[in-house]
Amino acid sequence: MDQNHIRNFCIIAHIDHGKSTLADRILELTETVKERDMKAQLLDEMDLERERGITIKLNAVQLSYHADDGEEYLFNLIDTPGHVDVTYEVSRSLAACEGAVLVVDATQGVQAQTLANTYLALDNDLEIIPVINKIDMNNAMPDEVKNEIENIIGLDCSEAPMISARTGQNVKEVLEQIVHKIPAPHGDPSKPLKALVFDSFYDSYRGVIALIRIMDGSLSVGDKIRFMATGAEYEVTEAGIRNPKEVPVRTLGCGDVGWFAASIKSIQDVRVGDTVTNAQQPAEEPLEGYRKMNPMVYCGLYPSDAAKYEDLHEALDKLKLNDASLQYEPETSQALGFGFRCGFLGLLHMDVVQERLEREYDLDLICTAPSVIYHVYLTDGSMQEIDNPAKMPEASRIERVEEPYVKAEIMTSDAYIGPVMELCQSKRGIYIGMDVIDTGRNILTYELPLSEIIYDFFDRLKSCSKGYASLDYELIGYRKEDLVKMDILLNVETVDALSVIIHRTEAYQRGSGITIRLKELIPRQQFEIPVQAAIGGKVIARTNIKSLRKNVLAKCYGGDISRKRKLLEKQKEGKKRMKAVGSVVIPQEAFMSVLSMDDNDRR
Amino acid sequence: MTAARNPSLYVHVPFCASVCFYCDFFRQVYQKETADAWLDALEYELLHTEINDGLETIYIGGGTPSSLSESQLDRLLSLLDPYKIAISEYTVEVNPETLTQDKIDTLLMHGVNRVSIGLQSHDAALLKMMNRHHSFEDVSRLVNQFFACGLSNISLDLMYSLPNQTMESLQRSTELAVSLNPAHLSLYSLTIEENSVFGKQGVRPLDEDTEADMYEWICSYLSKHGYDHYEISNFARDGKESVHNTRIWEYEDFYGFGCGASGKDEKGRYDHPGTLKQYLKDPGARSYIYLTKEERMYESVMMGLRLSRGISRSRFEKRYGNDLTDVYPETIHSLCKEGMLILTEDRLSCSTHGFELLNNVLVRFMEEAEL
Repeated sequence: MDQNHIRNFCIIAHIDHGKSTLADRILELTETVKERDMKAQLLDEMDLERERGITIKLNAVQLSYHADDGEEYLFNLIDTPGHVDVTYEVSRSLAACEGAVLVVDATQGVQAQTLANTYLALDNDLEIIPVINKIDMNNAMPDEVKNEIENIIGLDCSEAPMISARTGQNVKEVLEQIVHKIPAPHGDPSKPLKALVFDSFYDSYRGVIALIRIMDGSLSVGDKIRFMATGAEYEVTEAGIRNPKEVPVRTLGCGDVGWFAASIKSIQDVRVGDTVTNAQQPAEEPLEGYRKMNPMVYCGLYPSDAAKYEDLHEALDKLKLNDASLQYEPETSQALGFGFRCGFLGLLHMDVVQERLEREYDLDLICTAPSVIYHVYLTDGSMQEIDNPAKMPEASRIERVEEPYVKAEIMTSDAYIGPVMELCQSKRGIYIGMDVIDTGRNILTYELPLSEIIYDFFDRLKSCSKGYASLDYELIGYRKEDLVKMDILLNVETVDALSVIIHRTEAYQRGSGITIRLKELIPRQQFEIPVQAAIGGKVIARTNIKSLRKNVLAKCYGGDISRKRKLLEKQKEGKKRMKAVGSVVIPQEAFMSVLSMDDNDRR
Repeated sequence: MTAARNPSLYVHVPFCASVCFYCDFFRQVYQKETADAWLDALEYELLHTEINDGLETIYIGGGTPSSLSESQLDRLLSLLDPYKIAISEYTVEVNPETLTQDKIDTLLMHGVNRVSIGLQSHDAALLKMMNRHHSFEDVSRLVNQFFACGLSNISLDLMYSLPNQTMESLQRSTELAVSLNPAHLSLYSLTIEENSVFGKQGVRPLDEDTEADMYEWICSYLSKHGYDHYEISNFARDGKESVHNTRIWEYEDFYGFGCGASGKDEKGRYDHPGTLKQYLKDPGARSYIYLTKEERMYESVMMGLRLSRGISRSRFEKRYGNDLTDVYPETIHSLCKEGMLILTEDRLSCSTHGFELLNNVLVRFMEEAEL
């Protein structure tokens, strides 16, 4: 197919505005997928994603569309992930497109992510087609929403299709606009190959499969290729497109979106955003915008059953095949035994990995509170990178501690500026400025310690802005702060997995917050348990978990035996989900409790 | 051969005049025709079951057995007449709303020598909240009626840890109950059963500390008034322990008749599955739960430790061929060290502390048994 008949686009939307439903309808209309013979929301491959309504794994589908002008067009629909942890990956999949279909819910109008995604698309010079969805709903306000889009984003909505992705109403108009409004790819087929990697996954038979968009030149089976950032070279063994099943082709031409395999063993070689070129005839410059993604958040993962350590190791190895940004190495905790310190791009990434381990690999995990990497300068002049509070050197050996700072841009509307600023201030934020983008839309810029963001910043931001704020952040470097390690003692024994590194000025408040939280989480036991927070041996907060006084079934007669035994079995199962640390039995949530201690502050 | 002899027989009467909000037993509101059909089915079940002679105890519970009409009650007791030759204890659960002098006479005529009466509380507001339609005075009158007829082995049920119940209210209820001079008292802390009205209303019992305070007060008050605390929730004077229930806690076999009843024999335990309607259609239907030796040993510990005198090691060994301390060596050792259990030459029993935390104790046994 000649380049003029190719259209590469993505669909962007706020969560639940109907992105996946529209994608499904488009697949049906182009007869790519026959009548629901695939599961609902076909582009979200993993159960987990479907359940959470988010898309993490990118995917691309080729469709052929017979347009009203009588011509046949080739559409490449590229799905995008949607969370701040993966903004960079979103931007790379957008960079593989010439246009974007912006779906806005006619009942809800412009939302925070509508804006964030639109600006990301504009950054990548995409042609944007606004689409008003859910017009079949009783409370739809399509005209108001159109005005809102025009006023807030500044997109002309006079021709915006009014659709119902659910019923399929007017979806064809969207396809026509894709043909007429989105430009064809404009690469040069005669130039050396330049292909953008926008996703990759591991296939146990063929190695890593790279999903690419050809910007210049072409790629054929047998070509020797090079990844320009990593320098890795391979010979292409297979290439193809997905419709959504894999269809092998000999050559991917200029403007095409497809995949290739090259017996690549390590996903480390295939980085999202990297440029693939021909090793014999290399391009001079890679495509712009490549960023190496480094883990920013670390936490300890331990099997709650110590015998499952090897299973956890294997599961991590397997996940790693598909996830270049996941890092882990073995570590040992006095309280939790053998486990792994794992690095993640952000909190969502961490959540998803934990859930996949528990669900797909049937592991029962204990996760410690996330930590950032601290730079600890010792009096002997050396520096240690500390990603685990338990590893913090003795206070007397420390000259200074530096922690990572980020520049955070928070987009929000007038009504929530006050609460958002208050939140940033409470998180040790340094106010940099505020830009008014448009009537009612502002970008607040703050410098914040990363450690404050990885605690409960997202949740707090969402609740203080009613979901009407979006956050993007980037690392800007390390700064010296008065940071100390706070230990938590249960029954007068330090539980290493509960230690945290915090700012000295917040120690008292956090210490009492955490101890109170632990008191709520740890069930009463046969004896009284003091819960203490201490800095360098000095106790700064204390509560007691009272001893359990009565736990006995009131009645147990002849007809009750089965039922009462089940109750006891339930108690036994509950106990299994807890970890015995010394003489104290601790539920798994307790190890994350340092996260949610802000709940107590608010009370 | 007397080995497989059941000492006890239980009949479950699935009818009540009204439904108490804490109850999730198998029961429904009394209707004459249904009760007649139920008696037909029970008769069939009794006739088609081989029942050994020499039964020690019969217990008729429910539901509310006294919700049956006088003639129905007479028929029920007549059905059981053939089995009562060697009976030492014959108990019927009754309540003041449904028990008339006629019915009392019927009970006595058939040899019933123990009654269990639901008092629950003296507090009218609490009784109303539980949907109980009687007063303390009603119970008091009933107790005296029995005394007047020469039946003195009376048990009263009380409840504590009820929503809105204060310590003072519980104390008053207990004092008033004791003032009636019953031989036996059962004091149950409120358990919210999922399928009870309370469970569906989302009612919460009192907090653990208040409950424990109440329990400890009850134990000390009743002991001062001559009641022996022989089981978690049961107290008896002058050796008037419930023989029937003691056999159950000693994990002896027993017959269970009527839908909603369970029984136990040498193979395991059995239930009558399904609804009343199904029971009427097929009174002989039973679903068996076959138990391994490990399970039987565990259940005998689970039941036996409810008694303050605990488990007889020699009887355990006679039954299962193992010494208790060989079956659960680690649990018994560590729980004794923690002061939860007391091991003597012949018995294993709970300390006061272990009694109150019996669930924790039993979970430890369960862990060692790997059930």
